[in-house]
Amino acid sequence: MHRRCFLGRTTAGLALIPLTRTLAAAQEQPIMPRELYDRDGSFSDIARSMAGQRVRLEGYMAPPLKAEAQFFVLTQRPMAVCPFCETSADWPDDILAVYTKRTVDPVYYTVELVAEGILVLDEYRDPETGFLSQARLEDATYS
Amino acid sequence: MTRTLTASTFALAAATAMPAFAQDLPQTGNEWFIAAQDTVAAALERQQNTDRALNIILMVSDGNGVGSNYATRLFAGQQAGNFGDEHVLPFETFPNLALVKTYNVNSQTPDSAGTGTAMMSGVKTNIGVVGVTSEVVRGDCSTLEGNTVASFNEIADGMGKATGIVSTARITHATPASAYAKSVDRNFEDAVPEGCESQSDIAQQLLAAMEAGVIDVAMGGGMRHFLPESEEGGRRADGQNLVEVAQNELGAQFASDMVTFGEIDPEADAPILGLFEMSHMMYEADRNDEPSLAEMTEAAITALQAKGGENGFFLQVEAGRVDHANHAGNAARMVRDGMAFAEAVALADEMTDDADTLIVVTADHEHSLAFNGYCGRGSDILGLCMTASDDQVEHSGEPELGADEKPYTVIGYLNGPGSILVPNDEGEFTGTRADVTNEEATDIDYLQQALIPKSSESHSGEDVAVYAKGPFAHLYDGTIEQNVIFHVMHHAMTAE
Repeated sequence: MHRRCFLGRTTAGLALIPLTRTLAAAQEQPIMPRELYDRDGSFSDIARSMAGQRVRLEGYMAPPLKAEAQFFVLTQRPMAVCPFCETSADWPDDILAVYTKRTVDPVYYTVELVAEGILVLDEYRDPETGFLSQARLEDATYS
Repeated sequence: MTRTLTASTFALAAATAMPAFAQDLPQTGNEWFIAAQDTVAAALERQQNTDRALNIILMVSDGNGVGSNYATRLFAGQQAGNFGDEHVLPFETFPNLALVKTYNVNSQTPDSAGTGTAMMSGVKTNIGVVGVTSEVVRGDCSTLEGNTVASFNEIADGMGKATGIVSTARITHATPASAYAKSVDRNFEDAVPEGCESQSDIAQQLLAAMEAGVIDVAMGGGMRHFLPESEEGGRRADGQNLVEVAQNELGAQFASDMVTFGEIDPEADAPILGLFEMSHMMYEADRNDEPSLAEMTEAAITALQAKGGENGFFLQVEAGRVDHANHAGNAARMVRDGMAFAEAVALADEMTDDADTLIVVTADHEHSLAFNGYCGRGSDILGLCMTASDDQVEHSGEPELGADEKPYTVIGYLNGPGSILVPNDEGEFTGTRADVTNEEATDIDYLQQALIPKSSESHSGEDVAVYAKGPFAHLYDGTIEQNVIFHVMHHAMTAE
């Protein structure tokens, strides 16, 4: 199954987000997936500065791509599926793949959660789902 | 006795109303009174234009019913530093207006396929089908034959006019498809079911319409439906590359980003195909390296004026993502795409002459959003409803509270992903409202609170408005069925 690479051309609303938050401040409280990207889809300074570190991100769990997975997609907003917009689900650009320590216990897609893991910035295609990511959290937990 | 007195009172009022109105009432110096008199005076000066329309531009903001449009009006006004209510969107200055009943033949709540067909062909049809009558059974190709309708683009082309379509949605999506496609299902964008031989997919139908000269300009999103699966993002299982077909066999100019968009020669005698995204174009709030709706509209009008020459042109413009932001329950993006639509309307108006160009501005349907009260002036249309002040025009700065003693936003949705209800361990949906702040509510990604949990917020069957100016615009009046929009355009285009 081909999945759209989520690092596309843009990140929602980035122009409105002040990028002055320091790394230290960002680590005191969770950041949002959109803060990882600049408007043109490239990684933000925050993302680059946090790469390889254990970080916390707040967002929403998209309905899992498969059962009994150790992987889910963290979305900026509740992942609406619109039958009149899409013939099949399209991923927004401001999302993040999260690879968990344990099998994912699904959280309803409108309930906000915080995921914590090591931020990795490179391309990876999930072998089971075919989901292609440019950035992800590894060894992650969430609550 | 009472009746006699009442009649005498009316007679007296009729005899004296105008002089007393103008001279003696204590409110005659009030700014609201004076502004309203100016409005009436302007209306009295209005002349009906009964000349044949050389050009017609139909501008559809998908999902922008009266309520959604109200939100955009206030947002635009507040962006300009005002309270918002007093703002006037470009098409709200148009002299003629009607309310439009949008239901589909078989659905109280319509979709864009049925509504697009109504506006573009003059007949209402069923939900989910494009360019066909309600005799068709959705998804059943065997019911297509004998049940197709002619679109306004086809009719205009038959009169020698140039025609085009512009959309921020996929160019194969319902509204633009209603300009050229006949499909028993709106979702047949790049393929038809096995055994379906009565029609081709919608992308192929666009290419055929361009080859036939019916469509001269097509710009929007949806490239995936033109590319083979073998190419990154492509969806065509038949392996065809319709972009190459357009370029190599039709000689089309093709654009996919701002560089190639800028290289289009509108004067050239070649069709124009612009596909700027694999799926829909970006929301205006996120737009990057692709043209705005206004920029596409400008390019399309320039090209169609050149191609149509003295025969004129017809153009359909769609702001497709007002609808999608509403579906997401995200009013912040909805109003920004609404503003982008308003800018496109203003530009279309500026580029054409009211004497020979009929501009029709409308929506295809409304959404399930509604507005809370009683908000004071200047309450952020995306934020909290603030109480009205007794001693100043602007709101008090104190939020209105529900019985749960929590504030609420001006805008709410009846259903959608912003629902306050979530399933508990037993699968029952329960919930309470979040205690939201104004800062949180005005965030670009905030979803307004909704009641019924649905992954996609729904359309509603509520009326939309149609605004018009130019030849025969005055025929848009009262409360009309949606398919009447076509008939006024057709009358204007063919009047003797």
